[in-house]
Amino acid sequence: MLTAFTRAFRTPDLRKKLLFTLFIIAVFRLGSQLPAPGVNTGAVHRCVDVVSKGANANVYGLVNLFSGGALLKLSIFALGIMPYITASIILQLLTVVIPRLEALRKEGQAGTTKITQYTRYLTIGLAILQGTGIVAMASTGNLLQGCTEDLLWNKSWFTIVTMVVTITAGTSVIMWLGELVTDRGVGNGMSILIFTQVVAVFPSEFWNIYKTKGGFVFAIVLIVGIAIVAGVVFVEQAQRRIPVQYAKRMVGRRMYGGTSTYIPLKVNQAGVIPVIFASSLLYLPSLIVQMWHSSNPVATFISKYLVKGDHPIYMALYFLLIIFFTYFYVAITFNPTEVADNMKKYGGFIPGIRPGRPTAEYLDYVLTRITAPGALYLGLIALVPMVAFGIIGASQNFPFGGTSILIMVGVGLDTVKQIESQLQQRNYEGFLR
Amino acid sequence: MIITISIVLILTSALMVLLVLLHKGKGGGLSDLFGGGISSSLGGSSVVERNLDRFTIGTGVIWFASIIALGLLLKHGHHG
Repeated sequence: MLTAFTRAFRTPDLRKKLLFTLFIIAVFRLGSQLPAPGVNTGAVHRCVDVVSKGANANVYGLVNLFSGGALLKLSIFALGIMPYITASIILQLLTVVIPRLEALRKEGQAGTTKITQYTRYLTIGLAILQGTGIVAMASTGNLLQGCTEDLLWNKSWFTIVTMVVTITAGTSVIMWLGELVTDRGVGNGMSILIFTQVVAVFPSEFWNIYKTKGGFVFAIVLIVGIAIVAGVVFVEQAQRRIPVQYAKRMVGRRMYGGTSTYIPLKVNQAGVIPVIFASSLLYLPSLIVQMWHSSNPVATFISKYLVKGDHPIYMALYFLLIIFFTYFYVAITFNPTEVADNMKKYGGFIPGIRPGRPTAEYLDYVLTRITAPGALYLGLIALVPMVAFGIIGASQNFPFGGTSILIMVGVGLDTVKQIESQLQQRNYEGFLR
Repeated sequence: MIITISIVLILTSALMVLLVLLHKGKGGGLSDLFGGGISSSLGGSSVVERNLDRFTIGTGVIWFASIIALGLLLKHGHHG
């Protein structure tokens, strides 16, 4: 493992990429710490302290997790990667609805580039909206409820506009940093930035548990956490290989094909996305209720059942949403008919099954069955933090919580695989054996 | 002073957004956000892209500096 690391660093090409990635991460973290102009840092700090002990700690925990603590500091990167994720989700959902987008997606490289460009425009739009919302909430004192101090030095509209514009520009800078990493660094930039945010809150969370619960609980948390990580790695790697045989073909005087390969169907084909979808969807109603203090029955219902993460109804709803979104997302990303048609075109078939429609039906059948444990697994992993919350009374953002652990392991595995494939191009042994 | 820097900040922010949007988006969407395929970046960047990069970095530095300056000024102005 360590020798692989030194080898990675001894390869000039790879070393440059790794160092570049580290540099971008450093810039990103620096920006996440730098408060936007006009923010009273001391007051914000005291308020966060007050609020994190209050009744609404859950919601803030989730917000803080996604932004790596940047949002509650009102930093210039306060919105973090969230607008980009939201924009991607929206466009992903719209491709199902709008035929033009679906046509673009089928077009291949050029179409995807166009969709990416739309995502970028939408990101900026969302950043303006969310930035305005957050700055407005900060100036009226709604952002951190239960705290009376002024979060801003100066509440003139000019200062507020400056802050909104700065935060919007910050979001676009994050987008650019992510793209730079994708382009010149290691791994996928956006996911590496999310990874950084998730990991960044870890040490302080650990320290919190140690301080409040003592050494014994801390050790248990550590052991359970490592076990969960091992389990997640195990399931993430699991796949079913469906054999595909390619017929031999004569083209001119040369022989093609005749090879046998396989289609890998992962148990968890959807990745972390269902969890992110579900948690952002459940987070919306509680956010709305917080902004408008109304007392109609719907609002009381929401604040009774959907704000607290440890309520059984919330858990059940979360679980069901995750399962639904897992199937939904797998259906979007893997199209059995398309795969079967492609295989038929190149003379491939699954042994024992006729090409064309029967193959598509077979793939669909296997995929549906294999996704069932995948969806259950995602739901269970995501529920771990809430159950743990109930048992040991740790904070809601228990570090080995579902979303953060899935993001960590998913991104980590992916990045290591990419480094590995780069190493193997130069005939070195990789990390994974 | 505060107003001047604020205006500089707003202008550079707008420029920054514009410049970033001018870049070609790399890495497509959500599917390879988490555990997607390996996105290959073929070919180097063109001269236009490189100049755009330089310009963006320059704007970014001014943007960053004016944020710090304005932050300090607002804080200081409040106390003093």
